[in-house]
Amino acid sequence: MPDSDNDESGGPSNADFSSPREQDRFLPIANVSRIMKKALPANAKISKDGKETVQECVSEFISFITGEASDKCQREKRKTINGDDLLWAMTTLGFEDYVEPLKLYLHKFRELEGDKAAAGSQPPPPPSSTHNGAGVPVGYGMYGAGGGSGMIMMMGQPMYPPAASSGYSQQPPHHQMSMGGKGGAYGHCDGSSSSPSGLRRHDGL
Amino acid sequence: MEPSSQPQPAMGVAAGGSQVYPASAYPPAATVAPPAVASAGLQSVQPFPANPAHMSAQHQIVYQQAQQFHQQLQQQQQQQLQQFWVERMTEIEATADFRNHNLPLARIKKIMKADEDVRMISAEAPVVFAKACEIFILELTLRSWMHTEENKRRTLQKNDIAAAITRTDIYDFLVDIVPRDEMKDDGIGLPRPGLPPMGAPADAYPYYYMPQQQVPGPGMVYGAQQGHPVTYLWQDPQEQQEQAPEEQQSLHERD
Repeated sequence: MPDSDNDESGGPSNADFSSPREQDRFLPIANVSRIMKKALPANAKISKDGKETVQECVSEFISFITGEASDKCQREKRKTINGDDLLWAMTTLGFEDYVEPLKLYLHKFRELEGDKAAAGSQPPPPPSSTHNGAGVPVGYGMYGAGGGSGMIMMMGQPMYPPAASSGYSQQPPHHQMSMGGKGGAYGHCDGSSSSPSGLRRHDGL
Repeated sequence: MEPSSQPQPAMGVAAGGSQVYPASAYPPAATVAPPAVASAGLQSVQPFPANPAHMSAQHQIVYQQAQQFHQQLQQQQQQQLQQFWVERMTEIEATADFRNHNLPLARIKKIMKADEDVRMISAEAPVVFAKACEIFILELTLRSWMHTEENKRRTLQKNDIAAAITRTDIYDFLVDIVPRDEMKDDGIGLPRPGLPPMGAPADAYPYYYMPQQQVPGPGMVYGAQQGHPVTYLWQDPQEQQEQAPEEQQSLHERD
């Protein structure tokens, strides 16, 4: 499982170095713009620099939360960042309001993935299945407690294969090929938090 | 004639000032020009036009009206935010499809991977972020739009986002993304440029109050209070002492 994740991330990394693109540091402006309009009245307009600013803010948000979650994983000698780590990081960084909706979202997502795993042609190994079955009620019931957190983390790992499969299905081969054709890659920066600022300076020039 | 006319306007101003600003102290009536300048330099009283006795009443009325308006606006915005979170829960409860996300998971993963300390990411992490980022964009846009409406515009601009970032504590990590120029522009855009805030300000006031602090104008204050032709002559040396940028900003304030 971890190897699978590592392999998956290895490829893009190589591609990133070969041809870095600035736009890959942001979410697509069309998606961002569409979401922004949902929060505004019908006759509202958004300036281009307004959309671009929110684009930068979202990337900063992802880096901000990810950094905190990553620090926690390192302290606990874990290598994989999971959904609960992100929720913990949001609580720590002041985004408490986000956690309740996202808990519900993650809960429903895991339920759905669990069903898929059960119906999947490749059933997970018996030990994982045991943990998954045993963990579901106990984990959710004890959410927030240390033990519960551990149970949930154990759940997260066994669920990875079906989740990975789902992830692949979410990205059709055509879409992936298209991305490959564009040569989309990410350029590594020393400090993720400085990336937006660097880009802004570049734009200034 | 000058010596005899000086004490009277000074005393009048002192009386008016004590009514509006009990805590502030004015220089003695019989002081000479140089000490008056020094004393004026120490004061930090808010500027207001001549005829303070008459203006103070109007000023208080306008202030109260502005305060009420602002409290209503703040309550309305709080209700909008509460409604926002209720809608988020309702929307998620209704979610049945987890395959189609409003944001591409691969891109989210790339952004997460930009941090070299990040090693491995579970498949559920980008899924959680896809929803979290959607909520983040919606909330930031809603808060920015509040500022757009306050300025009676229909186009959400960068300075609206800058204002939302300044007003919201959890957005502190974003301050480097918007330059300070945008924040200054915001100050000019507020609908009450001529009315300085008093007392404990509401959410919007701290932002508006920044230009006031950045532009100290003791000489201007002193001159405005006096409003006497003879006293106006004293204002010239003080103006010379002030820096050009401050004067320009002071003029903007008056506009």
